[in-house]
Amino acid sequence: MLVESILRSLNGLRFVPQRRRPGVTTGERRSPRRGRSLEFADYRDYTPGDDPRRVDWNVYARLERPYIKLYEDEEDLTVHVLLDSSPSMQWREENEQASPKWNCAAQLAMAMCYIALTSGDRLVIETSTKARFGPKRGATAISSFIEFIEREALPAEVADGRVPANRVTQVTHLNSWWKRYALDAKPGLCVIISDFLDPEGYVEGLNALGAGRLDVNILHTLSTAELDPEFSGDLRLRDIETAAAQDISLDDALITQYRRRLNQFTTELADFCRRRGGKYHLINTSESAEKIILRDLRKEGWII
Amino acid sequence: MNILNPVALLAGLLAIPIILLYLLRLQRREQSVSSTMLWQQVILDREANTLWQKLRRNLLLLLQLLTLAALVLALIRPYINMPSTLSGRLMVLLDGSASMLATDSPPSRFEDARSAVGKLIDELGPNNEMSIILVDGSPHAIASATTNKSDLHAALDHAQPSPSPSNWNAAIALASASSGGTGADGASTTVVVSDGANAEDLQQLAGNVRFLPIGVNGDNLAISNLSIRKTTRGLAAFIRVTNLGSQDDKVLVSVRSDHTLLDARTLNIPAGQSENWTINGIDPQISWVRGSIDEAGHNTLLIDDVAYVVNGISNIRHVLLLSPGNRFLEQALAVLPNLQVTRAITPSAQPDGKPYDLYVLDGVSMTLPVRANAMVIGNQSFFTTSGTFSNTAFARSEQHPVLDSVDWRSINASEVRRVNAPAWLKPLVESTSGPVLFAGEMPGESAPLGRVVLLPFALRSSDLPLQVAFPILIANSVDWLAPPQGLNIAASIKPGEVVALPRNTIVTLPDGNRVAVDQRGFAQTDQSGVYHASYKELNTPFAVGFSSPAESQITPHPDLQIGGSTPSSEVVPQSSQREIWGWLAVVALLLLITEWWIYQRGVPALQRKKF
Repeated sequence: MLVESILRSLNGLRFVPQRRRPGVTTGERRSPRRGRSLEFADYRDYTPGDDPRRVDWNVYARLERPYIKLYEDEEDLTVHVLLDSSPSMQWREENEQASPKWNCAAQLAMAMCYIALTSGDRLVIETSTKARFGPKRGATAISSFIEFIEREALPAEVADGRVPANRVTQVTHLNSWWKRYALDAKPGLCVIISDFLDPEGYVEGLNALGAGRLDVNILHTLSTAELDPEFSGDLRLRDIETAAAQDISLDDALITQYRRRLNQFTTELADFCRRRGGKYHLINTSESAEKIILRDLRKEGWII
Repeated sequence: MNILNPVALLAGLLAIPIILLYLLRLQRREQSVSSTMLWQQVILDREANTLWQKLRRNLLLLLQLLTLAALVLALIRPYINMPSTLSGRLMVLLDGSASMLATDSPPSRFEDARSAVGKLIDELGPNNEMSIILVDGSPHAIASATTNKSDLHAALDHAQPSPSPSNWNAAIALASASSGGTGADGASTTVVVSDGANAEDLQQLAGNVRFLPIGVNGDNLAISNLSIRKTTRGLAAFIRVTNLGSQDDKVLVSVRSDHTLLDARTLNIPAGQSENWTINGIDPQISWVRGSIDEAGHNTLLIDDVAYVVNGISNIRHVLLLSPGNRFLEQALAVLPNLQVTRAITPSAQPDGKPYDLYVLDGVSMTLPVRANAMVIGNQSFFTTSGTFSNTAFARSEQHPVLDSVDWRSINASEVRRVNAPAWLKPLVESTSGPVLFAGEMPGESAPLGRVVLLPFALRSSDLPLQVAFPILIANSVDWLAPPQGLNIAASIKPGEVVALPRNTIVTLPDGNRVAVDQRGFAQTDQSGVYHASYKELNTPFAVGFSSPAESQITPHPDLQIGGSTPSSEVVPQSSQREIWGWLAVVALLLLITEWWIYQRGVPALQRKKF
């Protein structure tokens, strides 16, 4: 998990939403609604029923027509963090103590939550096991969030593939998860942390989130073994989620072909996300979370 | 290329079980991955699970099949027809004499000859035997009737030329004895590899004979003679330098004695001519003289550029042989070293008036000078006799230097005079009828007057001259009657020659090393120079030097007369089968090692993680 010094360096940072979304309560984000803040926004014609106290009498004196003075409204921003906690996200080598991929994803999720909570946003986090944390406000929720993440960790024998994951847990597909989530989600900023390695795809789920007025931003987390596989020889690849086997004889040509296919996969996902106004960032989980957050995401305008 | 064992091709069928075993053996290593989604898409792109893909991917299987192919190819014993100059049993006479040290074809003629014989070994067919005889002063076989080329090359590599003249007659006798029959394919070939020096008109050799001439030119200068003699002004050294080449030459010659330079001179010697040079007034006390060619324009053989002679005049013993003529006695005396024999029918004195060291009286009487040593044979007038006897059956003999190594038991004489010998003349051998050999020292007033050995029978009436004991008896008698001043060593020793020296003699070599002589004599005469032999109080120098006009004549002979005919030096093209199964076996071994290494370490091109 992120050390305290890193968390402190996240103080003062806040998410940059792509567009204004109506909030739930009064907050520090500009709302698309007109409200009661002190910042002037616009005029509109007086209509019967309007509060006469909001008529701008100076304008009436000059134009002899009543105009209502509108002010900006400031509401909170709901930040949705969707953390994929499927077995593929927690995969690790048999000889590894912990999954680097899951560690990275959890750290990123924690950082996202910390930024949201410390900047006064409303936080909701949900994992692919339908476990939900929030909605929460305020930095005091951080400690309980850590426990929430730790509960999502799979047993070691499942994470390293010794026991098929489908015997221990029910595998949730991304599309069904996100479509369900979009049904009752408040409009806001959505950060998805996932490897998107789902045979059923992700398009329907992302479309559903977009339709629920969520600005979808993607942190695509892939491990080094997925980005640059070092396997060779005659192998039987075993999918830790489905326990499906795939016989393969790896050589240079096949590795090259895999890299080409992976590049196509990430490019398609990035294009899909950006076409909908979202942000996309591909993460090698061997990189440090601090570097990803404080350098890469700030540089790409995720946070300021 | 042809094959000798086509049936072995059936072994190629072993490839089938290898492939089957591979297919059965193929067990994939299991690896868990986060998702097979992308891999499935990749495999859909390229149907990677086909049988051909499995086989193509597996380098180990390929190497196993290649190993099998190499072994099968080796088993069918393929061979290629190679042009060969030789077939059957081969006898190589490799000239290792002094002339082969000539450097007209650098580094030396012998290295050229070694290279030529090496090529012969390489051309040798699988069933052809080869023997190599190194022809030097004492020819010997360095490889005997072997088909093992490694052994032949090893023997050839160890062969070294010796600074001695070649003994071709002994070499040809050895070759004839060795070649005995014919080779496996019925042919026998003798190849003479030589420069032809000292190899003229050799004896007939059985089978085919070929001559491989060695050498380029015959430019050589040699000290063909070096001697010293006593004159009224001390010693005089005589040196003769011969230009054996085809070009006139200017030569710097130096003469040293006991490491002191006596004189040096530049001589202009026309081609084929000699120049003589005499140096007078040399101190008679010097022990040896060395002559050397220090500089010359065209000189390719260096071993004959140095000659040594020791001042051994005092060791010469003068013998007067008074005899009506006896070939056995003359021959027995002639072979003894440091002996100057004067044969006469009537008594005479030395030219300088001095008495002889030894008088041998063979049936002839004379008045001997005072203090004379004499060997008296047969009829004599010094001692009275009383009849004769003929029964000479051996009875007993005394221990005496004259009888050292002499076996008298089988010696008989038909008529022996019965001598009334004085007391000092002791009978050494007695027969059943009386003494047949006397020896003694005639006493004088202050010193002995002389020594006498008496054989009281004529050699013609005895079988003694036909016995092995005769030359030994003569040699023992001469050494006892006139003992040499120093050790009895011949004045001129050739390199490699064995010198007969008493046991435990200490010999100091020219390089300063000291060697004790064992019972077999002294054989370490490889160095040219002056040796010093010490035995008890005697200290005698002797010189070992190369002096062989025939070996110094190094002009290469393009032809050689062997048995009255001239063997061809042309290569007669023949064909020999050279099998290549050995190379194929090596390839199979390398493939097997590679396969093992890859199995242990993984495919080098795919150094990724293995499970």
